Amino acid sequence: MAPVTPRSGDAIFSSIDRVNAELFTLTYGAIVRQLLTDLEEVEEVNNLLDQMGYNIGIRLIDEFLAKSGVSICVDFKETVEMIAKVGFKMFLGVTASVTSWDADGTCCSIILEDNPLAEFVELPDTCQGLYYCNVLSGVIRGALEMVSMKTEVTWTRDVLRGDDAYELQVKLLKQVAEEYLYKDDE
Amino acid sequence: MIGVGKMKQYSNVLDKPLSKGKQEVSLTAFAFLFSELVQYNQTQVDNIAELERRLEDAGYAVGSRVLELLCNREKGNRRETRLLGILSFVHSTVWKVLFGKVADSLEKGTEHEDEYMISEKELLVNRFISIPKDMGTFNCGAFVAGIVKGVLDNAGFPAVVTAHFVPIEGQQRPRTTILIKFADEVLKREARLSQ
Amino acid sequence: MAAIYSLYIINKSGGLIFYKDCGTKGRMDTNDSLRVASLWHSMHAISQQLSPVNGCSGIELLEADTFDLHCFQSLPGTKFFVVCEPGTPHMESLLRYIYELYTDYVLKNPFYEIEMPIRCELFDINLTQAVQSDRVALLGR
Repeated sequence: MAPVTPRSGDAIFSSIDRVNAELFTLTYGAIVRQLLTDLEEVEEVNNLLDQMGYNIGIRLIDEFLAKSGVSICVDFKETVEMIAKVGFKMFLGVTASVTSWDADGTCCSIILEDNPLAEFVELPDTCQGLYYCNVLSGVIRGALEMVSMKTEVTWTRDVLRGDDAYELQVKLLKQVAEEYLYKDDE
Repeated sequence: MIGVGKMKQYSNVLDKPLSKGKQEVSLTAFAFLFSELVQYNQTQVDNIAELERRLEDAGYAVGSRVLELLCNREKGNRRETRLLGILSFVHSTVWKVLFGKVADSLEKGTEHEDEYMISEKELLVNRFISIPKDMGTFNCGAFVAGIVKGVLDNAGFPAVVTAHFVPIEGQQRPRTTILIKFADEVLKREARLSQ
Repeated sequence: MAAIYSLYIINKSGGLIFYKDCGTKGRMDTNDSLRVASLWHSMHAISQQLSPVNGCSGIELLEADTFDLHCFQSLPGTKFFVVCEPGTPHMESLLRYIYELYTDYVLKNPFYEIEMPIRCELFDINLTQAVQSDRVALLGR
């Protein structure tokens, strides 16, 4: 099959169906509110938001690949750059940059210049431990897992917690080989 | 483009200027988020009626905020006080902002004086959703019904709002009708104002 | 006009999650379709191992006397394949289009459980339209 040339995040974003970011923001807010009401501990809310993100990530990756024309992810470094430059733009319409690579290229930071999830949001005193945007870390973890990269994604800076930017640390734990081993079907 | 790490900070969210509402995200991002909302709420209920109620609650939270936002931004801090005014606000202004288009139709119920219907051939939230057969007439539009209820309630027009699939002749897919049944007090007040 | 016989989607572990007959020819009962799916899954994997070229992604086209089999595997490992009359054009585009339909009407459906058989009305409706021969020709452009 002829390889499809990868497209830029901007080009994809302008060619796909879009919705008003406020519908997205307010719907996410409604989800967070439901979780805070249903669950007792803020920590449980953080976990569930991350889990929801993971569920999204393992599905979203297919659309990312189908629409971006990316057909193979060579290494971790290239993949993370792709997610930041193309992925964030094509799905959320925002620009993200990758910095702080460590020496062996297995750990870096993604910095968001804008974050539509957090518009209108201020954390009340009762929710100071909340990672409001935790769904995003889950999405990245889920998406990378589908292309054989096990990662740990954590927030290192959060504007809602008084920092000056949104920053996620992405750390590669294990890269599973492309070929899968034979095992009996479940 | 703002430089990395130079995001403007406000000590209080209220100091931040209200956005103009022109920003967009992909429909995909919204669809996946909405899918998670539905999946999560499925884990919290025992039956379809409860699932509808919980989606409606989530929508209500959106609707009440949309009302405040739009009254401030689009209507110079005024809001509608008459029945037809608020209905057309929902059908046109709210729909346009949230779903990018005016709703397909707004009609008065033929059998009951207190009923109005907003219909949409394909509700944005239902774009990618196929309802399993064992879920009967369940419609994820309950979320949108909740949004409508949230707007109406907070504008002083309490109502019962529900979402229904309505088959259209010659079409494979049914449309969704949001049925609005206003509270007695609303109709009485409206009658008084019309005198 | 060249005809499409059938469409298959198989999950990462080789389970058949979707099968559709597209005409009167080459119809298969459930058992046979399951067998074809698991056989293809294995052959596809073996071809990757046997290939003398590094990084081979598996068989894309199998040509037989009486049919062609075109296969597309997504990076996460879901396989889409179509069985058609020999020489039917635009099958790669069709498979890519079906992949997009899958990302829309299957993966975004809150009632679909990942890796499980696909029962989504909207996916069926859109797929049925896509395999109509005039639509396939449009995809080729």
